[in-house]
Amino acid sequence: MSLLALNGVTRRFGALTAVDAVDLVLDAGECVGVIGPNGAGKSTLLALMVGDQRPNAGRLTLDGRDITRLAVHERVRAGIARAAQIPQTFASLSVLDSVRLPALYGAGLSDRAARDWVDEVLALCGLADKAQATAGALGLLDRKRLELAKALAARPRVLLLDEIAAGLTEPEVDTMVALVQGLREGRAILWVEHIPMALRAACERLIVMDRGAKTLDGPFAQVWSDPGLQAVYMGVPADAAA
Amino acid sequence: MIRPFELAAVALALGLGILGARMLDAGLLFLACEVLTLFIMAQMWNLLAGYGGQVSLGHQVFVGIGVYALFLTANATTLPLWLVLAGVPFAVALAAIPLGMVMFHLKAAYFAVGMWVVAEIVQQIAYKMPFVRGTAGLVLRPGGQSIQGYPEQIVFVIALVAAVGLMVALRVFLRTRAGLATLALRDNEGAARAAGVNVQRLHLILFCVTAGGCAGAGALYYITTLYVTPNDAFQLNWIVAMMVVTVIGGTGTLAGPVLGVAILIGLREGMTAAGFSGDQYWIVMGLLSVAVLLVSPRGLWPTLAGIFRKG
Ligand SMILES: Nc1ncnc2c1ncn2[C@@H]1O[C@H](COP(=O)(O)OP(=O)(O)O)[C@@H](O)[C@H]1O
Ligand SMILES: [Mg+2]
Repeated sequence: MSLLALNGVTRRFGALTAVDAVDLVLDAGECVGVIGPNGAGKSTLLALMVGDQRPNAGRLTLDGRDITRLAVHERVRAGIARAAQIPQTFASLSVLDSVRLPALYGAGLSDRAARDWVDEVLALCGLADKAQATAGALGLLDRKRLELAKALAARPRVLLLDEIAAGLTEPEVDTMVALVQGLREGRAILWVEHIPMALRAACERLIVMDRGAKTLDGPFAQVWSDPGLQAVYMGVPADAAA
Repeated sequence: MIRPFELAAVALALGLGILGARMLDAGLLFLACEVLTLFIMAQMWNLLAGYGGQVSLGHQVFVGIGVYALFLTANATTLPLWLVLAGVPFAVALAAIPLGMVMFHLKAAYFAVGMWVVAEIVQQIAYKMPFVRGTAGLVLRPGGQSIQGYPEQIVFVIALVAAVGLMVALRVFLRTRAGLATLALRDNEGAARAAGVNVQRLHLILFCVTAGGCAGAGALYYITTLYVTPNDAFQLNWIVAMMVVTVIGGTGTLAGPVLGVAILIGLREGMTAAGFSGDQYWIVMGLLSVAVLLVSPRGLWPTLAGIFRKG
């Protein structure tokens, strides 16, 4: 049985169909890259998975259980967490407390267990020396790291990453790739990113989204060389590049 | 959990309360009771709005309900007055559960105004209830007997211990895991949800706790006046004072309402002493609120604390 499955999931904003009848299956242990032009509906797809958005049509299942109507906090507890495209920081909390919260509530750990787990997550995400810093005072790279640390602290079985490497320098991107590679054990990772090299290094499967629809889905190399991918990015047909 | 100096603070409050009740004259005691009960109400509003992000324009309804719960129960039964008083916050907090569950269907400004409407409706209903005796008012006569002596002496002790106890309790609470969730909620509601916090349930808990707190503080205050009318108990002034005190002092900080109450009452007493009439201080307080909101939107305390830390 697949871990997470989407069946005909659709989200409309007025006349705009941001996510259009997407079917998608994620299995434990795989890391799947998602690319597509701006506005293709990638972030909305992730929002539908974590429950920030509700679909107008279609359903989602986790371990075969219908989660379409599950609230955000229930989905985190069930095992779906996301590092959002725009980091969602708790401005006045320390880095440590920011990560402790999802460890306590999302992962459901005891105070004692959370303490060790948080230390581990902070070390993993390169935030160990900033544990006592105020989250609101962090720079962009550290806020991106913290966003990932918060998602990870919830111990998700489905980890969704939305442009966590955007705006980072090349060495910083490499660090992120190495980090993500170390996270795949026992969980499914879906990584939305505009940096092909990062996805190529971390993912063995690639999904292409265009104007709300999933247009390609398959082994990375195969999708990468598919003429359909060129069409999405090279403006064939002419209006697709926007 | 609770730290030694926090326990010491409560013990000190009890000692000072007993001492003060003997030493201070009736006028000062009365003023102190007002200050302390208003502080408790403002801290409640701060907990719900400043920390929880749920702005209510109707929490005066719980003040009124608390007062009438106390007066009616104490007058109709032979239960000791102070026992009834102790029961009021719990009873009102429980009664607030279904109200909260209904009101939380309204979001943000709709919730705020909705609470105001609820307060108005409850006040009108109170007028119509024969046992409330409408504008004729109700006198506190526990068990049918007039109160002997000076209740403000005991009220002062209770109010001082309650106010300090509330500060300590909130400090302790904010160190727990539910407290961490509350601080996270204050900073970023969406991210708190994403971390697994059941925000709706936390909102409901804060709603009920603050309802009970306002009810207890209201009941306590009106023991000093011994008399109440719906006009008085449900008056808009309560919620205005709670908001102004919190907004000026500092929303989402524990010290904010302390500072705010000091400013509000200090200004009022100062202006009265200087010969200004009745409610003119409200104009000054209103202007002050606007000025503070423009200069330091989160209130005076965070700004002052920042200056101290730097200096
Ligand atoms: N909350 C919203 N309300 C209205 N339109 C939205 C909302 N969120 C996204 N959209 C629109 O949906 C489309 C897809 O957006 P998004 O999922 O953010 O794309 P991507 O992440 O692929 O760049 C865009 O046209 C965007 O403007
Ligand atoms: Mg996006």
